Parts: sequence; C-alpha cells; structure tokens
Amino acid sequence: MADLQINLAGIKSPNPFWLASAPPTNSGYQVQRAFEAGWGGAVWKTLGDPIINTTSRFAAASFNGKKVAGFNNIELITDRPLEVNLKEIYETKKRFPNHAIIASLMVEPQQEKWHEIVKRVEDIGVDGLELNFGCPHGMAERGMGAASGQVPELVEKQTYWVKEVAKTPVIVKLTPNITDITVTAEAAVRGGADAVSMINTINSLMGVDLDSWNTIPHVAGKGAHGGYCGPAVKPIALNMVGECARNPLIDIPISGIGGISNWKDAAEFILMGATGVQVCTAAMHHGFSIVEDMIDGLNNYLDEKGIASVMDLVGKSVPKYSNWGDLDLNYKVVARINNDVCINCNKCHISCEDTSHQCIDMLVDENGKSYLKVREEDCVGCNLCSIVCPVDGAIDMVEVKQALPSMSWNQRQSRIASFMTERVAK
Amino acid sequence: MSEHETFMEEKNKIDSYFDKGYQVISIFENLSGTFVDFVAAEGNKEREIVQLQLLTAEARKYIATKLLFVS
Repeated sequence: MADLQINLAGIKSPNPFWLASAPPTNSGYQVQRAFEAGWGGAVWKTLGDPIINTTSRFAAASFNGKKVAGFNNIELITDRPLEVNLKEIYETKKRFPNHAIIASLMVEPQQEKWHEIVKRVEDIGVDGLELNFGCPHGMAERGMGAASGQVPELVEKQTYWVKEVAKTPVIVKLTPNITDITVTAEAAVRGGADAVSMINTINSLMGVDLDSWNTIPHVAGKGAHGGYCGPAVKPIALNMVGECARNPLIDIPISGIGGISNWKDAAEFILMGATGVQVCTAAMHHGFSIVEDMIDGLNNYLDEKGIASVMDLVGKSVPKYSNWGDLDLNYKVVARINNDVCINCNKCHISCEDTSHQCIDMLVDENGKSYLKVREEDCVGCNLCSIVCPVDGAIDMVEVKQALPSMSWNQRQSRIASFMTERVAK
Repeated sequence: MSEHETFMEEKNKIDSYFDKGYQVISIFENLSGTFVDFVAAEGNKEREIVQLQLLTAEARKYIATKLLFVS
C-alpha cells in the first residue's frame, strides 16, 4: 500500500485530496463530515467581511446526457461572521489534528486589513493560509478576488503584506482570467508565497433562456457573470499547472484545482507538477464519499507502478511538457482502421473528408462488403478519426518509423538562418 | 495530384540536385512557400544556379532535415 501523505510547503495531510474553498467547506459540520469520509484537507470557504448572497446562485451545463459537465456560480465568500467560522475551525482542528485545514482569506488590498485577518485566523490554529486572488464575480467588483489577482503588482504586494505577519505557509490562489498565469504566479513568488494554487473559476455566463430571455441563472430577471468550473475546465487548469511547474522562476509547490473528478484526474495534475489537488464540483455533484474511490484508485495506481509514495509522482510529466517549437517535426503517426472491429458507421470518413485531410477511403471488397481504409501516405496523424470513432479499438494511431532523424521547428529555423542571411546579403 | 504525390515530386528533385553535387546557397521563405537556390558543385565551368519552389510542408521539413543532418 502506497504512502498517500503529502507535504505541501510544510502543510501535511494524510492524502492529497483536499476540498477547495467553496460551498462544501462553508461550515464545521461539513468539513468534519468530509474528514470522516476521508478527505485529507479542506480549504475553508473564504473568510472576510461577511457578505450578502443572492438567490439563485448556481447553474450547470449538461452535454449529451452528462449532467454537470460544467458548473457556474455567483455565490460570494462566507456570509458568516469571522468569530463563528474561527470557532468551528478550532473545533474541527481539535477533532482532526492530522488533517489539513487551510483558511482562505480575502480582504481589501490594504496592509492593515491583511495583517488583522491573518493574525486573528492564525491565533485559532490553522495549518496554512490561502489568499483568494481568484474569485471572478461579485467580490471582484469591489476590488478584491480576481480584480486583485489580475494585477501582478497587487499579487506581489498583498502576498508580501501577508508574509510580514504569517506564521503558517501561505498559498496564493490564482485566477485563470488572465492571459498568462505564470506572470501572476511569478509575482506571488516575488511576494514570498510558499505555494500557489490554481485555478479559480473562469468568467462565464451559463446560458440564456429562450422563452423568457433571462440569463441562466438569473436573479429577479437580471444576471451577472459567474465563475465556471467542473470537468469542462480541467484541460485549461492542467495547462496552467503545467506552465507554472515548468517555469524555473516558479520554484514553489502547486496545489492543483480545476475539474478534478476522480483519481485519474488527480494523478494527471500530480504528474504535471501539483503536490496535491483540491476538489469542489465533483463533491457538490456526488457528495463527500467520492473520495473513497479517489483514495483507492490512486493507491492502486501507485502500487501498480511500484511507486512507494505519492510525493514521488509529483512532476514526473513536467519534463515532457515543452514548447511547440521543440517538438519533433519528423515524428509521424498515422491512423489504422481495424476492420474486424469497425462497425462501418463512416464517422471517421465524414470527419476526415469534411474537416481534415481527406485520406479515409470508402471501399468495397470482392464480396461486396463495404470497408474503410486509410491512405497512410496522405494521413497527417491528426487523431480526429480516432477521436470521433464510437468504438474502442476500431482505430489505432500507429507510429511510423521515419528514416529521417528528429528535427524541431527551432532546429530547422536555426539551420536555415545562415542560408537566408546569405540570400539577403546578395 | 495528392499532397503526398506533390511532396514526392519535390523530394525527388531535392535528392536529384544533391545527388548531382549541387549545394544549397540560399533559402528564401514567403507567403508562396520556400524557395531554395542550388548551385552546381565547384569544378563545373559554369556554376549554374537553379531555384526550387517547395509547396508542401513535408518538403519544407525535408530540405531542412537534409541540411541539418546530411549535407
């Protein structure tokens, strides 16, 4: 049985699965039930000046029968006084001393405000702090959350103010609503952050009701943008984690967040550089008990791989994440259709013919039976046919050994540069 | 003619020039593709310059690979 314990910038927890700061971590009742279910840590719903929420608050995107492919919310930070939250944090920590409790914090970008809340929260006994520079709705209109997180100077300054007084590790939670998240991650590092977490939610409008023309959700006929999360955002989050993990200037641990729904998602984030993961939407969809399968699945995976500790998995895929210009242009894969598995639905032919490179032929054999065949010399290996194919194993993407050695775009440009210079000189 | 057939034609021309001892002296790239100037090997009385326009991506890869690893 593998060791699932993690140590994220000095914050220890029995496993890498934390609940993210969100509705599931609103109260001591919830967090204690989550710990009983097996969660290793919880980032308490963001503390700050208590707010007033609206109804309604949530909406979800369903796609082809799959409920909650994406999730949208306009709920703000805690609506409860700080004292109430601190009392419940204290009680929870007392019951679960080995679980990680991290307090998410959000105040106006003023030094004294940060100093006050950090001192009061740390006095009660937490394992770490997470600075909420990511919440994109509501609070951002008041200059907090994503409004702070989109300005590198504010990220650096506020992190610095927190570090002036903090005694526990400080995690800076970053917004994805920015062109390049490594810029704000670097700012957090300059401010003294002990770790970064990403991603917070993405600006979103879930939909428009075609009968009433109201937004979804709406509040008495009016809507405002919310924050998007859930399985649909996982690729965006995974890229941002990877980009930060491979950036030498961001040399602090990462807590991965964004659409993590099962142990496989978690393992991917860990491989791409996250020391641990935070989950919200999946727990809201299925309840706290999903962590049982996450723990079992990750444990079995590590055992199968012969890896003793989950910490040994952290970042193993990072060296494989590179720039496009460093990819091998002479590497080639082609599609190969297994006609004994293929059901002749022709989806591959249609997608290739209409939207790719027209290299899948519809043929008829000597017995009059239809079959599909890839003209491999014209196949560019785009993967589209295998993506749209409804039958597992009907199309394989097969590597074709090349006579030519590996050559990247950057190598190509470097080699031909001298010839181009000569031409210009003439 | 398929993209692959076009590439094979361009590749054969590139190989042919190299086989005859031509050397690449200039490469120019613009919206119309890659233009490669070959010159006959030294020793030829008239050092003829021939220009090859490469239309296919495969050929644009191929010429660079030849220059990087073969020539």
